[in-house]
Amino acid sequence: MKWLLGLGFALSLAAADPAVLEKGKAEEKRACVACHGTRIVHVQRLSRAQWERELTKMAGWGAPIRDREALLEYLLANYGDDKPVAPLPRSEDASNSKR
Amino acid sequence: MFSRRKWMKVLGAGMSALDGWGQGPLRFPGKRPMLVQNDFPEDLETPVEYFDTWITPNDAFFVRQHLPRPKVDAGSWRLKVGGMVSNPLTLTLDDLKKMPPVKVPATLECAGNGRANYRPKVPGLQWSKGAIGNAEWRGVRMADLLKRAGAGAGAKYGNFNGADNGVAKTPDFIRSIPMRKLMHEATIVALEMNGAPLPEIHGFPARLVVPGWDGASWVKWVTEMDLSDEPSKGFFFATAYRYPKYSPVPGSAVKPEDMEVLEGMAVVSYFARPVHGSAAKKGSPLRLQGVAYAGENRVSRVEVSTDGGSKWIDAKLSPQNYPFAWRLFTFVGRRGYRVSHPLFEGHGFSGARAAGGMPVESVRVHV
Repeated sequence: MKWLLGLGFALSLAAADPAVLEKGKAEEKRACVACHGTRIVHVQRLSRAQWERELTKMAGWGAPIRDREALLEYLLANYGDDKPVAPLPRSEDASNSKR
Repeated sequence: MFSRRKWMKVLGAGMSALDGWGQGPLRFPGKRPMLVQNDFPEDLETPVEYFDTWITPNDAFFVRQHLPRPKVDAGSWRLKVGGMVSNPLTLTLDDLKKMPPVKVPATLECAGNGRANYRPKVPGLQWSKGAIGNAEWRGVRMADLLKRAGAGAGAKYGNFNGADNGVAKTPDFIRSIPMRKLMHEATIVALEMNGAPLPEIHGFPARLVVPGWDGASWVKWVTEMDLSDEPSKGFFFATAYRYPKYSPVPGSAVKPEDMEVLEGMAVVSYFARPVHGSAAKKGSPLRLQGVAYAGENRVSRVEVSTDGGSKWIDAKLSPQNYPFAWRLFTFVGRRGYRVSHPLFEGHGFSGARAAGGMPVESVRVHV
């Protein structure tokens, strides 16, 4: 079991690699935004298993994901379930009616 | 000092600058400032402080879209009614306008409203409380359409498609509704929302209004109704929008066979004011305000506790008392109280409090 823990530790170090995170961010832009904005991704805070399922679902729906590992690490590093929730932005007033 | 609203705006602007890949300013024609869950397609949450009128104006009404919004031309738009019918129909907008109109006040709530409060977190839009609104819908009774089309005795479901299409390999948004609900006199194909033609973002020129049921059933930009003896096998009916048949341990996996289609919505209430954690002026009476909705039932009572649940006092309700439509409640308490979530009983829900069927939300104010 010890080697497994070691492997997990090594992976967690790899996760913090800024180059991987940059790759993941670029992958998000390349593979996701043709179909939807990134905000629907960024409002969520999910575990590794949950993000894995989302990526599998999206790949099945045609997302051309090439570097899945980098994308996953980027999502976890920024939108993991241990990350704080950011308040939602408000849109500008574009109503036609006067109140 | 910044007011809360001002602060949120500043924060919002900062976030969009960080976030945006040419996503442009957050501005949605016809909408007041909304909480932006997503901008493409638009998923917009109504800030709860807008919940101070029984009718939610169109410019404040929440928006949920799965697929990019279709541009529908009113002249070439058609509603096709086919499948197990003796007289298939292809109707123009004018054809629908010639049929007897009905008005239905009804609350529309997204099945995922409140998801932001789940622990552990679950995937999906992180709605707080604002994926709900109440409108007066005007259109044509579904039962009239079914009679005109000569619905067959074997038909069990209407399978509905709209003008929106799946991008890449995303499945199309198709929903199935059983005949008993389609034949209900309040189920309509709506052409108007609060006295105006349906706004594009809300389904122009026609959408389903399925009172008391979750928003997923209220198909927008509807173009096809196919009567069948079986429901859609598509993702958005056969997999999505299902709830567990039992109360699972939060975070645990539920087998697909233990999930069932969500139909009538559960009893809910949401505090609109004050905002949790906000400040109240010392000595001033505390005014609580919110909305209560009971799906297919009427809301007959909203009770508020200011002592952690020992004693419950009736809140004042807005006068409109209909099935399918929410009621506003107000309660004037005394300062310094911890005010727990109002409980209420809709028709058929007496004893709901004892049964524990109510999520508890508390709102605390600093004095």
